[in-house]
Amino acid sequence: MHIELRNLTKIFPSRNKKSGEEVIAVNDFSFTIPDGQLIGLLGPSGCGKSTTLYMISGLQKPSGGQIFFGDEDVTEVAPEDRGIGLVFQNYALYPHLTVKQNILFPLQNLRGKDKMTKEAMIERAYQVAKLVQIDELMDRKPSELSGGQQQRVAIARALAKMPRVLLLDEPLSNLDARLRLQTREEIRRIQKETGITTVFVTHDQEEAMSISDMIVVMKLGVLQQIGKPQEVYNDPANLFVAKFLGTPPINIFKGTVRGGKLFIGESAVLDVPGVADQDVHVGIRPEGFVLDANGPLTCQLSNVEVMGRDVSIVCSSEASENPIIRAIIDADDRLAISGNTVAFSLKPHKVFLFGAQDEKRIRPSEVK
Amino acid sequence: MVDSKHQWKAWLYLAPALVLLLVFTVWPIINTVRLAFLEGYSGMKAAGGATFTFGLENFEKVITYKKFTLTLKNTLLLCVLTVPISTFLALLIAVALNSIKPLQKTLQTIFFLPYVTNSIAIGMVFAAMFNVVGSALGTPNENLTSVGIVNNILQIFTGKDHYVSWINSNSPEWANMFVMTVYIVWNALPFKILVLLGGLQAINKQYYDAAKIDSTPRWRVFTRITVPLLSPMLAYVIITGFIGGFKEYTSIVGVFGDKMGPPDAPGRLNTMVGFIYDSLAQNREGLASAAAIILFGIILVVTFINLWVSKKRVHY
Amino acid sequence: MTTIAEKKLAPSGSNKLSTSSRIRRTIMGIITYAFLLLMALIVIFPFYWMIISSLKTLEEYKLNVPTFWPRLIQLKNYADAFQAANLGRLFLNTAYVGIVSTILSLIITILTAFAFARLEFKGKNALFGFLLATMMIPGELFTITNYQTVNAFNWMDTYTVLIVPFLVSVFYIYLLRQNFLQIPNELYLAAKVDGTSDFKYLWKVMVPLALPTLISITILKMMGAWNSYVWPRLVTKSEDMRLITNGLRGASMKDATGETHFPMQMAAVTMVSFPLFMVFVFLRKYIMSGVSRSGIKG
Repeated sequence: MHIELRNLTKIFPSRNKKSGEEVIAVNDFSFTIPDGQLIGLLGPSGCGKSTTLYMISGLQKPSGGQIFFGDEDVTEVAPEDRGIGLVFQNYALYPHLTVKQNILFPLQNLRGKDKMTKEAMIERAYQVAKLVQIDELMDRKPSELSGGQQQRVAIARALAKMPRVLLLDEPLSNLDARLRLQTREEIRRIQKETGITTVFVTHDQEEAMSISDMIVVMKLGVLQQIGKPQEVYNDPANLFVAKFLGTPPINIFKGTVRGGKLFIGESAVLDVPGVADQDVHVGIRPEGFVLDANGPLTCQLSNVEVMGRDVSIVCSSEASENPIIRAIIDADDRLAISGNTVAFSLKPHKVFLFGAQDEKRIRPSEVK
Repeated sequence: MVDSKHQWKAWLYLAPALVLLLVFTVWPIINTVRLAFLEGYSGMKAAGGATFTFGLENFEKVITYKKFTLTLKNTLLLCVLTVPISTFLALLIAVALNSIKPLQKTLQTIFFLPYVTNSIAIGMVFAAMFNVVGSALGTPNENLTSVGIVNNILQIFTGKDHYVSWINSNSPEWANMFVMTVYIVWNALPFKILVLLGGLQAINKQYYDAAKIDSTPRWRVFTRITVPLLSPMLAYVIITGFIGGFKEYTSIVGVFGDKMGPPDAPGRLNTMVGFIYDSLAQNREGLASAAAIILFGIILVVTFINLWVSKKRVHY
Repeated sequence: MTTIAEKKLAPSGSNKLSTSSRIRRTIMGIITYAFLLLMALIVIFPFYWMIISSLKTLEEYKLNVPTFWPRLIQLKNYADAFQAANLGRLFLNTAYVGIVSTILSLIITILTAFAFARLEFKGKNALFGFLLATMMIPGELFTITNYQTVNAFNWMDTYTVLIVPFLVSVFYIYLLRQNFLQIPNELYLAAKVDGTSDFKYLWKVMVPLALPTLISITILKMMGAWNSYVWPRLVTKSEDMRLITNGLRGASMKDATGETHFPMQMAAVTMVSFPLFMVFVFLRKYIMSGVSRSGIKG
């Protein structure tokens, strides 16, 4: 079942009644989540991603717009009638109930035609517990579980009702680095096995990129870009998206386009046919640099970090908008570095131009 | 978080409490103020059809009433005596308790014991401890006499025949006050120790380590670190101590009985709350209300003074 | 007096200490313990005196030189006091009033605290602020009008008059609301997503989680009934409707010559204090946690 958001808007009334300033958390948001996919809602804190998730869940009511589950308009439907499972950032397990009782809790609320017999409930509980591999912990209290185990219990509880949609709010933020890696694979597996349309919220772009079928990048309540992770990375729609995705982050230079050529400082670094003369922001991915003694882009070397397969060259340049520039090159090429200055040529498909004012992507007619 | 359109549900949850509060809290506030300003109001006379005019007569009567000024004096005296003494003792005990390891839990439990008591019942025990029984009161034929355990203990220092009549007939007023002060302090200690010890245990031990490294003398650690860091708790026990002190009543009933004084001088130790109940028992509700409002006023003023002082002194 | 610092640092620095400062430390330790033990003795003495006095004969009690252990244990004092002070009836009265008012009070407190902690309604903060403000007002101010009110309701000399006017305690509501607020909001949202009604959430999740606070409230409320003196004396005329403390102070326990029979009186006091001691022994931590937040006795 797909989910469609149409012109979704959420306005919070101002805290201070006198100033009367409203906060627009989500602004005219429209997109469709295809059936059975894992979607990452991605953005810095305060971008409205959690509000969007809560509106999909029904815990918050939109100020405007509609939400469809399949063809059904659920905008006015109460959370419990939407058929969703929700996993909270801090898991929200009932501390006084055992794992089994926690998983049974939502089942015991089912009324009418959904009502289950006790045996069926227990069978279901063990079924989902097995799915998330906690069936051996059923009689423990949440306080006796590790963070990762609590996370699984929370997912099991959300899945117990066989929801049409699974929603996860920052599912990995409370786990340590090693568990995070492990758990995100786990979420991926569970989602693939159940085939439930799943939306999760995160501020960690790496996390989103690594497991999502699609990512939705948000900023200040406005949709920035939506697409497959690699597509968004390779083809950012604006400066914000380019900066937000990728570790190490993209390098930004002040540049100028004159006569179809891109200048950084005084040197022409790239041909950009079809682009009008103007000042631009130039984004270069760290992997977009090629060591080249005769390359047009030079900078002052400050450090070389060896990271096994790759070498990260840290340098600086007047033209850079950030204090440091980071280029990642193959370890074998390191030998070519000598002296205080490094020179690069650029891989054209790793270089992006953005308008100086609107920060929107400027695409050359043909990049060679 | 959740948008609630069912406000009426909340009111349903509140209903029982609100109904009771309206009848037994809100209405009394309005009505007691009304009664206080109805000159010479008496429920009995009102039932008989009498009407009353608005005015300040009740307040004038109360403050010029000798009985009332006596209760005011007693109440203030008890506050001034018991609050500083109990606070200081509690502070000493709390700091001492906090500094020891063996026996700490046991002693803490013992010091909390007086809290869980009935103030009338233990008042009677104190009366028994201070009481002089038998011929010492002047019946020569009695051959069995006791001057009370407190006098017995004091005799170790003062000599065999010396004794004080603490609460009996012919007892001096200072002796009565002494007994009440001892009892009220004894009664007030557990709460204060509990709060202050809790405060002490919450103080970050690093301050003391830092002071130690600077080889700060012990008294300086106490006055410059412990007391300032404990000042919010101290302010709290002092304010609640004053509020409790102004409402002192049952502890005196415990020791002296309803008469609020030794047998030959009933009412000598009466307090403001006692005055209110006496007036009520005599069907003089107007007077009682005026006295209650004055009591409330005093508590408010003292609380604000305390808060004002602690704002300047309390180091949060 | 020593402070925490000494205790903490003693092991690490002790070998460097000069003898004189070690002696000073030992003396401080002795003074500290002596002070504490003396104070503890003063605190505990009235209880000891109460119990041994209750076991003495009147003659032994009056002895010129006091005895610190009864020569002849006189349990008869207890039977006499029980009768003289009508304690049997008053025990039952107090237990009945205590239990009924505790149960009703708990229900009201839970519902009200829940509304203030979890539900949204207009004027919530203003109403709660008003309730807190009423805590400042001395109870005597309410008593005057409540006395008239219960008279008008014809409640005099009934159990109702002893129970109903004190069912709502703003302090208990405050205490429980604070506890409810500590329960993460996500639990409520999770329950909402699962279709749990507010009412079910309250009883299945919040009440079990707030159990320690509820136990504290129960104890304080029961102690309140056990210790109440003024109100029952005011609104009950018949001896049979009074509560335990009234009987204690009111009963005449005289010997043949018309003088107070102190051992009997102390026996009555011991009997009344006994349940409180039991509560203290078994439920101390709940009282202490409730009390440290209050400053209000009973």
